Amino acid sequence: MPQRRELIKGSTDHLLLNLLGQQKMYGYQIIKELDSRSDGYFKFKEGTLYPALHRMEKAKLIKGVWEMAPSGRQRRYYQITIRGQELLAQERSQWRDFITAMRLVVGPTSA
Amino acid sequence: MTSQVLTKYLDNIKANLRLDTANENAVLSELVTHLEDEFDDMLESGLSEDEAADACITSLGSVKLIAGKMHEAHSQGSWKQAIMASTPHILFAALFALNWWQGIEWVLVSMGIVLGIAIVGWLHNKPMWLFPWLGYSMAPVLAAGIALLYLPTVWSWIAILIYIPLALWLVFSVTIKTIKRDWLFSALSLLPAPVVVGWFLAVDQAGSGIQISSDYMRDFAPLIALSFLALAGVAAAFIRMRKRWLRITLIAVSQSMLLILVTFYARGQLAIPASAILALTMTGLLLGLFMVDRRIRYHKKS
Repeated sequence: MPQRRELIKGSTDHLLLNLLGQQKMYGYQIIKELDSRSDGYFKFKEGTLYPALHRMEKAKLIKGVWEMAPSGRQRRYYQITIRGQELLAQERSQWRDFITAMRLVVGPTSA
Repeated sequence: MTSQVLTKYLDNIKANLRLDTANENAVLSELVTHLEDEFDDMLESGLSEDEAADACITSLGSVKLIAGKMHEAHSQGSWKQAIMASTPHILFAALFALNWWQGIEWVLVSMGIVLGIAIVGWLHNKPMWLFPWLGYSMAPVLAAGIALLYLPTVWSWIAILIYIPLALWLVFSVTIKTIKRDWLFSALSLLPAPVVVGWFLAVDQAGSGIQISSDYMRDFAPLIALSFLALAGVAAAFIRMRKRWLRITLIAVSQSMLLILVTFYARGQLAIPASAILALTMTGLLLGLFMVDRRIRYHKKS
């Protein structure tokens, strides 16, 4: 489904900021969490997740820190930064406006 | 990592990352932990080791895709790095703009600064801004060798037998180490070469390579300074660019444009055939760097 792939690609940063805004997570955990929360809709191509995380870290939207997980393995946990929180707040309001507008347009025909 | 297939996959990614050691290690460690987690989950779900390894690789995606995207995520340097990369060009622009080139002490001080900063950068993880400094720091090594050839016979023999092989070995080994990181950084080091050689030929009165006309130098000094300033702009733009194809285009176009401008403003002092030979040599050099890079990466993979 190329259209779905494009939609996911366009909202990658927003999805990641949203998740990391709730709790710090490591890469593999993010993939599983997105998959389970969206009932498999947001199936990330794993190879694109890490470049996105690193790009966002360079933009100072998130911060990665190596930590020892309860299993004893070292993992790189990502957490949102203040700049990331500010961007997330802006994007959330844009998304809300977008969804409201979509409902107004699509709503009457689907009802 | 339990599977040979996964180790080979990670080695292939490493060979294509083209990052500095610190970033390379961070990226690989993260991918290793990801693969370990996923591999364990696949085994728990009932797959065999081979099936689990194949599934992990399929999920993570192609080596070229990951390495390319990772490179893109890390390739753009900061403005601080861009300024640092353009500084040696600005330093040489100042030498000519302020006519400091006439005082040997200024030239020596500039060379000392360039060499010192290049050594510090080389010993500290070879940051992106290092490579323009590295290019200038290699120039006196070769120039001293050429100058030795014009000394009395005994010294010439010493130059031929000791200095030149040592200098060539040094330049060769630094170039190979730079290409191992990324051939584009070698190209960035070589960026001033056509401009420097072009102006050198333009001010060389007798065509012998040693009789430089001070009058021509004084005439051309503002233009030489402008050429170095243009190089500073190119170096800064290179550092700020993210896409590889843009960087390749920038290097190729800026070298050709600058050489054309030098030929034009040298007012006939740089003959068009000499300029064409210089352009062809530079193109050959860039292609050579690219081919060596491909060979090194092919060997790393296999």
